Formats: sequence, C-alpha cells, structure tokens
Amino acid sequence: MTTTLERTAVRTNAPQRHRRKLLGAPWILLAPFLALFALTVLVPVILAVVQSFTHINRAGLFGEQGVTGGFAGFANYVEALTDSNFLGAIGRVLLFGVVQVPVMTVFATALALLLESASARWPAFFRAAYFLPYGIPGVIATILWSFLYVPGLSPIIDVGRLVGLDIDFLGPNSVLWSIANIVTWTYTGYNMLVIVAQLKSIPSEIYEAAKVDGASPLRIAASIQLPLIRPALILSVVFSIIGTLQLFVEPLVLRTVAPAIVTEYTPNLSAYNNAFAYNDYGVASAEAVIIAIAAFVLSFGFLAWTNRRGRS
Amino acid sequence: MTIGRRRLLGLGLGALGAAALAGCAPPGANPVNAEPTIPAAGPGEKITLTYWAWLKDLQKVADIWNARNPNVQVQAVFSLGGSNGGYQKMYSALAAGGGPDLAQVELRSVPEFMLVGGLVDLARYGAKQYRSRYDEAAWDQVTFNGGVFAIPQDTGPMAWYYQPEVLAKVGGQPPTTWDEWAALAQQLHQQDPTVYLEVFSVADASPFMAYAAQAGGKWFTPTENGWLVNLTDDATLATARFFDKAIDGGYVQTGYDPYSPGWTAAAGNGQIAALTGASWGDALVETIGTGKGKWRVAPMPKWPTGSGSTALGGSSTAILANSRHPQEALDFAVWLTTSPEAIDALIKYCGIGWSPSRDYIGAQRQQPSEFFSGQNYNTDIFVPAAKQQPKDWHWGPITQRTLNALSDNFRRKITAGQSLVDSLHLTQKTTVDTMRQIGLTVLEAK
Repeated sequence: MTTTLERTAVRTNAPQRHRRKLLGAPWILLAPFLALFALTVLVPVILAVVQSFTHINRAGLFGEQGVTGGFAGFANYVEALTDSNFLGAIGRVLLFGVVQVPVMTVFATALALLLESASARWPAFFRAAYFLPYGIPGVIATILWSFLYVPGLSPIIDVGRLVGLDIDFLGPNSVLWSIANIVTWTYTGYNMLVIVAQLKSIPSEIYEAAKVDGASPLRIAASIQLPLIRPALILSVVFSIIGTLQLFVEPLVLRTVAPAIVTEYTPNLSAYNNAFAYNDYGVASAEAVIIAIAAFVLSFGFLAWTNRRGRS
Repeated sequence: MTIGRRRLLGLGLGALGAAALAGCAPPGANPVNAEPTIPAAGPGEKITLTYWAWLKDLQKVADIWNARNPNVQVQAVFSLGGSNGGYQKMYSALAAGGGPDLAQVELRSVPEFMLVGGLVDLARYGAKQYRSRYDEAAWDQVTFNGGVFAIPQDTGPMAWYYQPEVLAKVGGQPPTTWDEWAALAQQLHQQDPTVYLEVFSVADASPFMAYAAQAGGKWFTPTENGWLVNLTDDATLATARFFDKAIDGGYVQTGYDPYSPGWTAAAGNGQIAALTGASWGDALVETIGTGKGKWRVAPMPKWPTGSGSTALGGSSTAILANSRHPQEALDFAVWLTTSPEAIDALIKYCGIGWSPSRDYIGAQRQQPSEFFSGQNYNTDIFVPAAKQQPKDWHWGPITQRTLNALSDNFRRKITAGQSLVDSLHLTQKTTVDTMRQIGLTVLEAK
C-alpha cells in the first residue's frame, strides 16, 4: 500500500508536507476496523493462548481454603492430547471431512456446470433455489432436518417401513452421516455460487473457439471449464476443511434427539464444554489452540499440495 | 503473509502483558463471602433486581411481588434451561464480574456454582431463620460448610405414570417392586414386540442417579477431610446390574429419551406404556395429544434396600456473587418459595415442580385431574413420595462433569456393549482424577 502511495506522490510531484498527510490518511480510515479487529480477534486469540498455559488450584471442599492460579506449562496440552474423548472427536471430524468435503465439492461443481451450460433453463431461479439453504441458520436447519430423522415423526422412516426398510438416521453408526447430510445441504449452494462466479469470468471467446473446433459440452466442461475454475475449487475446499474442523451447531442441536451424540462429539464441542460447562478455561483454551493449529496445517498443507501439482 | 520480526516481537510483548494480567485474579477467587455484608437499601431507595430463570412467564409471578413492593422491583429474564445454555451464560457473566442478582440453579449444580465462588452465603443475611419453612431433604442440599448457599425452589419426587389400557393387554398392575417391574416389562414386550413398558435413557444418566439414590447409594459426601466419592457402592452397582439385564434382555426402549418427540409419539400410540418420572413430568405427559383420560399415577417401584421414592431434578433460587442487593434478593426468594400466593402463581403460570414449602403444595394440586383419569394424584401419590425421598444425598462439586462422563459411558452400552457396571467404575476414576486435578481433597471408599 505504501509503495502505491509513494508512486502516486512521485507522479503528481506533490510537496513533502502533502505527502506526509496522505500517508496518515489510510491509518485514520483503517482505525475503526483495526480497533474492532484488535478487540474482537487479536486480544481474544492472545488471551486464549495465555490461558492455555494457566491452571487454577482450589483447596478444600469448594476452594474455600484458597484459590490460586499459576503457570501450567504444557500440562493443559498434555491433558487435551491424552483425553480419549478429545482425540475421538478429532478422529470423528477427520473421517467426516474425508467423506463430506469431496462429496460436497463434486455436487457443487456439477450444479455449477449444469447451471452455466448453454442449455440450462431458468438458471437464475435455480441458482437462487440451490443457494437458499445457506440463508437458513444452522440451528433452524438442524431442527428442520431432525423432524425427518426422528422415528415416529419422520415420513421417510414410515415410507421405508412400508417397503420393508428399517432406516435409523440417529443410530451410533449413522448419525455422523445424518449430520454430513445437513452440512452438505446447507453449504453446497454456497460453494456452487463461488464456482459459478469463476465460470462467469471465463471469456466467451474461448467457448466460441471450442465450438468452432466442434467440442461437445462434455469436452468443454472437462478441458476448458474444470481447469479454469481450479482456483475457485481450491478456495471452496479450504473453506470446507476449516468449516469441518469447527463443526459445532449441528451436533449440539441434534443431541437433543440423538442419544448417540456424546458430549464431546466434535473438538469444538469439547472446548465449549470444558470452558462453559466445567469452567476449565485452561484445557478449553489449549483445545482451541490445537484446533486452530490443525486448521492451519490442513489448509496450508492442501494449498501447498495443489500448488506443487499446479506447477508440475 | 509473512509475519515480520518486529510484529512478532510486538505480539510476544502483548502476550506477556496479558499473562501478567491474567495471573492476578484467577476466576473463581471471588471473595464475596469473606468481604463485609452489603447493607439493605435505605428507606425510599428504589432498586431493581434481575432474576435469570428458565421458568416461563415468571414475570407474572414477580408482578404480584412488584405490586406490593414498589421499592424492590423484580425483573425476570428468560435463560435457557441449566446446562443447555443457561449455566454457560451465568458462568460467563460471573467470570466477567456481572450477572443477575438471582439465578435459577438446579439443586445438583449448587456445589458447582460454589466452586467458582459464584454464590452468596445467605446464612450471613439471616437465611437460617427460614429453615423450618422448607422440606428437610431440600434444605440439606443447599447447606454446606455451615452456610446456606441457595433457597430451594422446587423438587422432583418420583412416581410411576402409566396407561392402564396398555398394561391390561397382559393383565398387568402397577408394579410395587423393581423385580415386578422387570417381569411386567418382559410380558408386555413378548406379547407385542413394538411395545415397551418404559424407556431407559442412555443419553442422560440423571434418572439412573435417582434410581441409585433410591436404592441407598451415596456418591458424594463432604467430610472434614475432603470429599468422599463413591460411585460404586453396593446399592449403585446392584442398580446398574438390574438395568444391564433389562437392556441386554431387550425389554426396555433405549432409542430415545423420555419427553423427546419420539417418546411423545410412541407414548401417544401406546408403544410406551409407562414412565418413572418426577412430579414435574405431569405437565410433559399432558402434552401427549391423545393421552387425556388414558394415564394414571402410582407409587414408583421399590428396591429391596433404600427409600420408597427418590428425586429427579429440582432447582433453587440462588443469589449470585455480584449482586449488589443480596438482602432484598433473599427476601424475594423466600416469598417466592413459601408464600401460598406465590406458590399458586408459580404453578399456574410456570408449571413449576414440587414446592419445597413444608405446609403448602398449592391449591391447584389439591384438585383431581381430568387428564389423569380423574385421579387426585398429587395428594394421593406425590405427597407421600415427597416424604420418602432419600436423606443424606449430596451433590458433588463437579456434578455436571460426572453426569456427562457417565452419560457418555452409558451410550457405549448401545454402541459398544460396555456394561453400566463398567461405566460406573470408569466414571468413578474420571471424577476422582478431575477433582484432584483442580486441587480438591478426595477420599475414595475402599
């Protein structure tokens, strides 16, 4: 930013005083953002990191013989990483991500390609319709879906029984995929829109050239559209990886009807419980830091991997 | 995207500063009960108390008080039920140095709020003089270390709700013992495999806690030398073996919890015949659309040892540590829980649980109920049940954690075939380890 400003200043041959004023302006304009950013993002992040290294000791029956706080070293991290519930939660979201992210990306890509194909009817209407679930808050979406999952209320289960199928959406082995279904339903439209935006930026000359060469719609999709929407696909996968690690609302709400969802079903639920139900902010902060590091590693790992493949 | 050396230094300095700040006052070191008491407001001074509770329409009850006490106005604020979000909000408010004057806290969570220094010791404001107005079992649950840390608001004596028509299919009568209960459950399920006598919740271990307490189990005992923790006493293990057998035999439903949409649907079409439930369950049973006139209430089944009934749920009116008017808050809490006009209004507007007041159960509860087949079930069944609640039952300082650990273990009964007995042994260890980790002194029974 500074370099751009300097260049502008040099080009217009502005006097020295004027230049200094210009340099201050962006900071003044940025100040409201920076203040809020520091207050709501930087300070909480720093506090969480600090808290993850602290421990509180309470003596007596309720701490009436003294409450002391102190430096805990990596004890909270050790506790989090040896807690089978937390490890189980991490394993669960990894499994979830390995299955759900590719499925959703394929759906989103297919929908985007169909809507942007020459023969699509009412693309604007369908684009809005597919995007609509994203506008429904996760809590409401989960409540809506739970009516389709609960035995005795669900018409799907009733129809299944009629044809001799005993469907259990909320069983210990199926409930994770019922959650995946809700997440896919919510976010496919959003990812589709990201891809559609990228598709729209492909110059029409390329399509015309392909048509002149006699390329079929399938060939156009495979050889022109897919390679050109790569950046959008990568972006949507990275967002999905981060979203998967932060899975929280859907299992929290579905818990009320699904006995198979344990208290620490996902890493975020585990941190939430430790902090707000157990008042153990140290371990909760350590878990939050671990989740953040995992999101960093996975997202940047994926980016590095796609970059390398892109180059070769 | 690279972080410069200078910026890194800045971040590090910021973190150090924050660490110094955080080191000063650990949350939970609230000295409210060591500081001098806060005097009552002067005459003519107008104050407003806030009360966070999950009782619906509580403001209508508070308005009765407000009309009489123009200088002490009470404002009710709805807060989610207990650990579904209400406590999380209260704990956060306490940690931030704020929060309401009064809060609805379940009896079992009172020690947890004490652990974070969240409750005012009401004995210092004269609460002990009110002791004789409350049921003994309820008062015992708010008394620790010689102090009074909340005012009992409602309790949950348990009984047995059932549908006579469904039992009649096998000529069944309400069981008086748990063994009879098991025989009846087997008969019903054998006759029609879609019908179950009852649900056993694997997702919420609190009914199991109530059954174990009925059998005479004592999980947490505060002693002079620390907490005595024993989740694996004989009474509790016998209870666990009984329900292990019931689940293995397939004659209890474990697919959903009582009062959930699935349960309501099944109870409505006769696939669930009965419910061992607390007194406050009546309002929830009444939500079964087709249930009118089909339900009755009987005393709950008994174990060979222990008490005639037990308690599930129940809450208190607690005065939170950051209240600036604890004296007035206490006066309101006592009025709310013992005056006949408040008890009647709490029942009418909020559908509150059993009143812990010693001499008054509420006018409405002395009437026969149309839904429950014209039975006067409160007077006939719950009044005696309330007197047969187990005595000397105490809750521990990390009850929610114990309950969650136990519930998570219980779920493994369904997912991995882990027995309830094993779950209790595992949860005993988790509970003791966690308590020691936060510095508390714990004794384990041999």
